[in-house]
Amino acid sequence: MKFSSDEIASVLQEEIEQFDSKIDVREVGTVLEVGDGIARVYGLSGVMAGEMVEFPNGAIGLAFNLEENSVGVIILGDYLTIQEGDEVKALGTLLSVPAGDAVVGRVLDPLGNALDGKGPVQTDVTRPVEIIATGVAERQPVTEPMQTGIKAIDAMTPIGRGQRELVIGDRKTGKTAIGIDAILNQKGKNVKCFYVAIGQKDSSVAGVVDALERHGAMEYTTVIVAGASSPAPLQYVAPYAGTAMAEHFMFNGGHSLVVYDDLSKQATAYRQMSLLMRRPPGREAYPGDVFYCHSRLLERSAKLSEALGSGSITSLPIIETLEGEVSAYIPTNVISITDGQIYLQPDLFFAGIRPAMNAGISVSRVGGAAQVKAMKKVAGGLRLDLAAFRALEAFAQLGTDLDAATQAQLDRGYRMVELLKQPQYKPMSVTDQVLSLYAGTKGFIDDVPVSAVQQWEADFQQFAHDKHSDLITLLDEKQDLSDDVVEKIEACIAEFKKGYKPVESDL
Amino acid sequence: MNEAAEHDTVLDTGAEQLGKTYARALIGAAQSAGIADKIIDQLGSVVDDCLAVSPQLRAAFASPQIDNNEKIKVIDRLFGESCDPLLVKFLKVMAGRGRLAHVDAVRAAADTIHDEMLGRLVATVQTAVPLDDALRSKIEEQIGSIMQKQVRLSESVDPDLVGGMVIRVGDRVFDSSVSNRLDTLARRTRNGFSSQLLQRFGELTSE
Repeated sequence: MKFSSDEIASVLQEEIEQFDSKIDVREVGTVLEVGDGIARVYGLSGVMAGEMVEFPNGAIGLAFNLEENSVGVIILGDYLTIQEGDEVKALGTLLSVPAGDAVVGRVLDPLGNALDGKGPVQTDVTRPVEIIATGVAERQPVTEPMQTGIKAIDAMTPIGRGQRELVIGDRKTGKTAIGIDAILNQKGKNVKCFYVAIGQKDSSVAGVVDALERHGAMEYTTVIVAGASSPAPLQYVAPYAGTAMAEHFMFNGGHSLVVYDDLSKQATAYRQMSLLMRRPPGREAYPGDVFYCHSRLLERSAKLSEALGSGSITSLPIIETLEGEVSAYIPTNVISITDGQIYLQPDLFFAGIRPAMNAGISVSRVGGAAQVKAMKKVAGGLRLDLAAFRALEAFAQLGTDLDAATQAQLDRGYRMVELLKQPQYKPMSVTDQVLSLYAGTKGFIDDVPVSAVQQWEADFQQFAHDKHSDLITLLDEKQDLSDDVVEKIEACIAEFKKGYKPVESDL
Repeated sequence: MNEAAEHDTVLDTGAEQLGKTYARALIGAAQSAGIADKIIDQLGSVVDDCLAVSPQLRAAFASPQIDNNEKIKVIDRLFGESCDPLLVKFLKVMAGRGRLAHVDAVRAAADTIHDEMLGRLVATVQTAVPLDDALRSKIEEQIGSIMQKQVRLSESVDPDLVGGMVIRVGDRVFDSSVSNRLDTLARRTRNGFSSQLLQRFGELTSE
C-alpha cells in the first residue's frame, strides 16, 4: 500500500484554506498547587462545575470543586509535568468520549485513547461522559432475558436486559469469571459488551483481553482500562466513560452489557480525590456523595421505551468484600441500588462448587419476568429446594438416622449441586440448560453416582445434540415446555440412559 | 516565609480575606476624609519603598516576638513624618491587633477595591516587541470603549509570541498572537486531515 502524496497535499491545502483565524477568547487560571492527580487553580472565575480545562502539557482536567478563591481540578492524564504557575484554559465543554462502532473491539483508556497499539479511534461520534439518566416515561419494564450462559445464574437469579445485577464476593471467588462468561455468551446475540477494568493489575486485564480474544469475543467487546497505576481521577471516570460508550448503542435501539470490575476500587479512587480536595469525610472516610456516585452511574442502565427504540444497557457491577463483610458501607450502598445480587462465597469456591454462588442469599428482583418459559418451569422451585437442602444437609451431619424421604431429598440435593457446577469459559445456551436442569429436577439422575453427574451431563448433552437435534431446534423455537416438547425430552433421556453406564470422573 | 510571598501564585486565603476586610475599612475612612487617592498612594509606597527593600523591617513586623508597643513606636518613627496621620493610625491599629504581617495583602486588596470604585480595570498586554505610544493609546482606547471603563495597561514582552498580542482582562484572555494561531492551524489541519483520511482512505492510497 502506498500513499499518494498529491492527493494528501490537496487535502491538506483544503484544510488550510478553510482555516479562518479568529481571535481566541478564553477563560484562564493559574496553577497554585498540583499533586496526586489534582490541582488547585486560581482564576477561572467563570468556569462551571464539571467543565473541561486544559493544561499546557495537553492534559485534560475537570473542574471538580468550585471554591471562593480557587477551583479544584482533577487531572485526567499526566500530572507530573504540570507546574505551579502554569496557565489553565477552560474549554467550555463537558468531558466526552468517542463512541459508536469504531470503539468496538478496542482496548481504550477512559478518555478514549487507544491502549492496544492499533492507532487512535477514528470516529466523529462522541458522547458526554456524565449525563442524567433517562426518566420514568422513557423506560419500560425488564422483560427480555439477558442470558449469562451460567446454569446457576440463569436458573436461580435470572437477569433481564436493562437490569443491574451485582456480583459480590471476597477476593478470588470467581467474580470476574462470571462477567467474562456473560460476555462470551453474548456471541451472535447482537449485544455489544463493555468490560470496564478499574484499579486492576494490568496483568490481569491483559489476561482478560487474551481470554476474550481466544474465544472470539473481542469482535463485539470494548475494554476500558484504568489500571492500578492510573491516577485516581481516571479510575473515577472510567465507569462513566464505559457507560457513555454503551449508551450510544442503547439510544440507537441496540443492546449492551457493561461489566464494572470493580466498583469498590472506583469508590476508593473517589475517596482519595475527595480527601485531597478537602471534602469532609464520612463513614469509612468516604465522602458524603459516594452513594450518588454509584447510583447515578447504575441508574443509566435501562430498558428504553418502544418510542426510543427499546434499546437497553444491562450492567454487572462487581464489588469486592473483605472477609465476607456485606454490611460494610460500599457493599450495602450498591446492594440497595442494584436489582439483585449474586453472592459468591469462598468456602463454596474451595469446596469445588464453581460458580461459588450462594443460592440462599442471591436474588434477582426483576429478572423473573425476563426468564424464558421453559426455564421458569424447570427452575421454578430450584432456589428454595437448594436452600432446604442446605438446611437438611447441616442437620444430617449430626449423624441421625434419616427416613427414606429425607434421604431422597438429600440425594437429589447433592446431585443438583453437582449439576449446577460449570467450568469457566463454557457458557451454555438456554436450551442446553433446560435439558440438563429438566433431567436433574425430574429425578432422572437420582440413580447416577454423585461423582459421575458432571460426566453424565456432558455425555447427555453430546448425545442430545448428535441424535436429537430436532428436539434442540424445537426447544429453541418454542422456548416453552409444551406437552410435545416434554414428551420428546423424556424420550431422549430414556434413550440415552438405556445405552449409558455412568463413569466416575474427576471433572 | 518571605520567599513564599514573592510568588504571586501563592494563595493564602486567610490573608486575602483579612486584607479585604482591613482594606475596606481603610478606604471607607479615607473616603470620608476625602483623601482616598493619597492614602492608596502612600500605602503603596510603604509597601514598595520600605517593606520591599528592607527584609528586616518586614520580618520585624511579622514577628510575634516583638512587642506590639515596640512596633507602634517603630511605625511612629518611620512613617510619622512622611505619611498621612490616617494611614499611621491605621498601621497602628494593625499593629495593635498583631496583623502587621499582612500589610501586603491589605495593599493588594485596597488597589483592587479602589480600581473597582473608580470603574478602572487593569489589562495585561503581552507582545512580541515593546509597544510604542501610539499603539498603547490605541489599545487603551479600544478596550476602554468596549468595557466602558478606564483602562490601566500592564505590559510585558514575550518574543515566543512571534507577533500579534495577548490581552488579559481579569480571567479572560484575548489571544491573537501568531504562535497561538499557528498552533490552532496545526491542530485543526491534523484533525481535519484524519477525518478526511477516514472517509477517503481509498482515494489517498494506492495498492
